[in-house]
Amino acid sequence: MSLTTMIIKMSEGLTRTCAIFFLTLIFSLPLGMVVALLRMSKVKIVSAVTRFIITVLRGTPLMLQLLAVTYGPYYLFGATVARNKLIPVVIAFSINYAAYFAEIYRGGIESIPIGQYEAAEVLGYTKVQTFMRIILPQVIKRIMPSVTNEVVTLVKDTSMAFTVSYQEMFTIGKQIANSQTSFTPFLVAGVFYYIFNVIVDYVMGRIEKRLDYYK
Amino acid sequence: MADKRTAGPGADTPSVLSIRSLQKSFGSLRVLEDISLSVERGSVVSIIGPSGSGKSTLLRCASFLEHAEGGDILYDGQYALKDGVYAHKSELNRFRTRFGLVFQNFQLFPHYSVLRNISEAPILHGENKEEVRERAYGLLKKMGLEGKETAYPYQLSGGQQQRVAIARALCMRPEILYFDEPTSALDPELTGEVLKVIRQLAEEKMTMVVVTHEMPFAKAVSNRVIFMADGVIVEQGDPIEVFENPREERTRQFLRVFER
Repeated sequence: MSLTTMIIKMSEGLTRTCAIFFLTLIFSLPLGMVVALLRMSKVKIVSAVTRFIITVLRGTPLMLQLLAVTYGPYYLFGATVARNKLIPVVIAFSINYAAYFAEIYRGGIESIPIGQYEAAEVLGYTKVQTFMRIILPQVIKRIMPSVTNEVVTLVKDTSMAFTVSYQEMFTIGKQIANSQTSFTPFLVAGVFYYIFNVIVDYVMGRIEKRLDYYK
Repeated sequence: MADKRTAGPGADTPSVLSIRSLQKSFGSLRVLEDISLSVERGSVVSIIGPSGSGKSTLLRCASFLEHAEGGDILYDGQYALKDGVYAHKSELNRFRTRFGLVFQNFQLFPHYSVLRNISEAPILHGENKEEVRERAYGLLKKMGLEGKETAYPYQLSGGQQQRVAIARALCMRPEILYFDEPTSALDPELTGEVLKVIRQLAEEKMTMVVVTHEMPFAKAVSNRVIFMADGVIVEQGDPIEVFENPREERTRQFLRVFER
């Protein structure tokens, strides 16, 4: 198989790679905020349970979570395994990344001085106005570098979908490597991920720069 | 306690702020013990005292940032706190529009321009945008900050930031303005410009309570000085009397430190 054929075949999987990437971000970024707020809840049981769930999600391999979400329903209830693996893959990724984002958000929220809340309170901002107008914008700016790190990791983590045989770029590459007994597909995959992340870096850099109008 | 300067017309109308027997503890530590004071319209009250005496806590209780456990807080004769029980949340919100608070560390919103820092709150309260803007421009001029409306807080000196904070509080058109050590976070050479605008507000008969360590300023500007120590009001009265002829030994001790 020529290099060009390999590249073309693997590129066909890139749509799926992108699907995992973007869908995971769309779901996990807001879900992470919900988890962060639950984690910071004043109701002890809520924050304790949330904290436990976060430690499980961060303390066990994503690969295991992928397998659990994809095949768990079959082993537990005898449910048929989803034909379109994208659904369990995105669910597993979103939950896992939400746990990481939640901790980043929490760190960001807790880094805002209490005086900002107090100033807003005295000026008559409601709790929601205070969070949306005063706190959140400052949090977003502060957490951008950490979020960028996670997004870069996510690009590479999409390759883990091969464990449940979802036909994204890396899975296709791995199959070609096996059938052709060649290492080249892995090199191609590496180049793909690298280019993907160069783009991610550029975009995130642009966003950070746009938030640079204040200190 | 007779006070010549606050007596006269308006003396029979309710005080802007009245506090009676206020109690506040942090855990087992009693920070405010039976504090009573009232602030008449148009007067300036300075609160002095060693750190940890409860001065700031008193202001924070008056502005509902701290929860008092006992006593009364009244604005214009209306109860915000009665016998340790707070008024309903919506009522407290209405009381909040009566006072403004200037913090030691300014607490401007760093992501907002100067103009937005000053004007957003009144606009959120439903005031006409143009009117608020106009008022904000006027206040900036008064604070000596003309042309700074589009600047961001980080581009300003501490003294300028604090003056923006004062403008922000004033733009809410409060009946009474609280200052919590407004110059303590400033470099010495910048305190003058902030004290100057406070003095100007005093001349315009703005009702104010100022927690401060600036003794000459307190002496010059106040109608009444309150000396606090260990959570109680040790002495209060005419600034000349308190500063030059304090009755209490504790006050003398405290003031001696500043004479050196």
